[in-house]
Amino acid sequence: MKRGIINSILIFTMAAGVLSGCGGSKTTSFTVTCPWAPSGVAAMVSQKAAAMSTNHSDNMILVADAVKGDAATVNTWVADTKADDTKLVFAGEGLFSITSILDPSKLQFSYDDFAFVENLYSSVFVMSADASLNIKGMKDLGSYLAETDEVSVAANGATSSEAFLAASLFGSMGYGDKLKITPYSSAAEAAQAVARGETDFAISHQSQILETFEQGGVTIVCAFDGEDITEGAFAGVEGVGKYGYPYFRNRCFILARSGTKKETVAELKKLYDDILGDNEMSTWLKDTMMLEIDMMSEEEVQEHIQNVQNIVNEYYDIVVG
Amino acid sequence: MLEYIGPALEHLFTIENFVWMNLGVFIGAVFAAIPGLSVILCVILFLPFTYKMTAIPGMMFLLGIYCAGGYGGSVSAILINTPGTPHAAATMMDGHPLSQKGRTKAALKVALYASAFGGVFSALMLLFLGPQVAQVAAQLGTAEYFMVCLFGLTIIAGVSGKSMIKGLIAACLGLLISCIGADPMTSYDRFTFGISRLYLGLDLAICLIGLFALVEILAKSEKKIGQLILDSKRMNDDGKITKDEYKRLIRPTLISSIIGVLVGIVPGTGASEASWFSYDRAKAMSKHKEEFGHGSVEGIAAAESANNAVTGATLIPLLTMGIPGDGTVAIMLSALMINGLNPGLSLFTTQGDIMYAIMIGLIFVNLFMLFQGRFLTQLFAKVVSIPQEILTPIIVLFCFAGAYSVNKNYFDVGVALIFAVIAWLLRKLDMPLIPILLGMVLGNMTETNFRRALFISNGSPMIFVSSIYCIIFVVLTVLAVFTLIRSKMKESKEEEKE
Repeated sequence: MKRGIINSILIFTMAAGVLSGCGGSKTTSFTVTCPWAPSGVAAMVSQKAAAMSTNHSDNMILVADAVKGDAATVNTWVADTKADDTKLVFAGEGLFSITSILDPSKLQFSYDDFAFVENLYSSVFVMSADASLNIKGMKDLGSYLAETDEVSVAANGATSSEAFLAASLFGSMGYGDKLKITPYSSAAEAAQAVARGETDFAISHQSQILETFEQGGVTIVCAFDGEDITEGAFAGVEGVGKYGYPYFRNRCFILARSGTKKETVAELKKLYDDILGDNEMSTWLKDTMMLEIDMMSEEEVQEHIQNVQNIVNEYYDIVVG
Repeated sequence: MLEYIGPALEHLFTIENFVWMNLGVFIGAVFAAIPGLSVILCVILFLPFTYKMTAIPGMMFLLGIYCAGGYGGSVSAILINTPGTPHAAATMMDGHPLSQKGRTKAALKVALYASAFGGVFSALMLLFLGPQVAQVAAQLGTAEYFMVCLFGLTIIAGVSGKSMIKGLIAACLGLLISCIGADPMTSYDRFTFGISRLYLGLDLAICLIGLFALVEILAKSEKKIGQLILDSKRMNDDGKITKDEYKRLIRPTLISSIIGVLVGIVPGTGASEASWFSYDRAKAMSKHKEEFGHGSVEGIAAAESANNAVTGATLIPLLTMGIPGDGTVAIMLSALMINGLNPGLSLFTTQGDIMYAIMIGLIFVNLFMLFQGRFLTQLFAKVVSIPQEILTPIIVLFCFAGAYSVNKNYFDVGVALIFAVIAWLLRKLDMPLIPILLGMVLGNMTETNFRRALFISNGSPMIFVSSIYCIIFVVLTVLAVFTLIRSKMKESKEEEKE
């Protein structure tokens, strides 16, 4: 009797297993490699998008993977993939606009190796100041720079987007020679450095400095954008663009391997657009990550890359020395 | 605080949370026991499971992996002389010798009890003193970090074995290896020879596999089959720890837990530094110094309590300031943020019930680790009774799989093999291997903070005595060097007399 029941259960389980593979739509998993730290902004957005992909597609699932390594990771990705592979990768202005100029030998790929899928978000960097300096806007900044001999700015990496934003702002204000970029190994470290007065300023994503700002450790000087920030904890912070200073937002695009079928790329783009259109995603990006949804066309992406390249070329000497 | 405890307990005491805690503990302990499969890799692998969970069960699961991973690394360190995770390297110093004496279960038990104590101790610190301690830690800057590293380098003397000169040479080799990769101040490549995979430097977990696991295999390959027989002494182990040994464990466990918490709250440092600091202190303070390196229960307890005391402490800067103390905790930050929780002091008032549920949950995670560990110890201890001709290929398989899994490429397997050959050659020259590891652990942090401090001060060395914390570490470093020279002089005088 007991054996009969066990046999029946086994046969039923096997039959269910076999039948579950029939008739249903085929689901394809796309692994999205993020070449930066798993705790970084891009990796978190990728994880959230992956978690939400099952709600928006029956035949495509996104799987987030973060392999720290920047150019080296993308080199490996390009070497290991071919057209129509179910693998996607993140890349941003750091690779296409900064590394490509500063250290081109590090890149074993070009933009032509990819097929653009979508840009998910844009992040407006902000510059914070040691609270004891009492610098709360561009006017205060101008006065401070006129009086001081040297200014130190903490940035996440010596040749990062943040470092070039510092160089472009101080350079265009005419104080490039006073600027000293102090590199830290993470944005959190840079934020703490300015809070304890180790440096005068720091540049970071808004979410990375929020807690330090709320605890009174720093003041916010400006935002690297065309207009003032209008919402959230940093509402009212001035955008450097309105003073005519150069700026760029941080963007990270999702790319497939070049040669991938246009229909597949279009389907992926639609999936990402649906996820970004979901209220849960947009609220999370705005409230928790302090990012803006920023779906772009390939032409707009090219413009962004070109804009950052122009800034890198112009302020190269300040950063590299 | 008290107003949140009631709702926090209500959130925490659900069957779902306790199931995830135990699952996390089990996975973490087993995963970390396999060389190369680090805790951070385990957390990354299982992070997607938390996407559909709410914050508390998700964090309980990840904390289970994190804490049990702290203990799990000691298992292979004790059994096969290979730390499962880098921070278990100090445990290996005495864990494996004690196992070779036929006391494998006792070694595993000491590691488990010390780990659980350290974990609970740091969880209590997080619960009661988190925000206050975080404020102090936030005062430590680049110069202070360098002084901590400098003090840490004095440990090399304690792990150099018979020859200080050989120990220093090995440590320098470790420091040199840590220079491979992007220059921390300029981002330009160093010693990468055009190999892009070296840009981020060498991963410590991969090097460990070569230095300690594969080199053992190479050494075994030199022996004849008949020499690889099972040690019957190791198989008849009753796992008993004597009353005297329990008494001896109290002081190093407590002091090391305090050291673990102090190191853990400083972002950027980690369990490896804590366990080596503690091991060194325990040796210096012990009445049985001669047992260290030969199977001292105090040595195992010191290293293990310290590395698990780091777990709760690293959450202090994370939960109070949003600063992840180490890589694994950084992944947990993303788990919190995906759930819409932006860590910081403000979260203690807006979502206090969730924050306190997580902190109280950490205590239970450590208690479950103790309960599960008692059963797992019996299972793990059976490894010593597996014949070498079966065990050795399994270890090799795990080593290669572990090396591959870190970055998912075969290059790292090659790196592990190269390190095995280097280690094998160094062993032939009677060079100690632990100082290489210490050099690699402290090298990058020492260099980065030294250069950045001088950059900030425009080259003035006075920055290294610019705060009370710096001065304390200068004094400690000078005292450590002075004690070292005196003990070496004493040793050489005794040798002359003999």
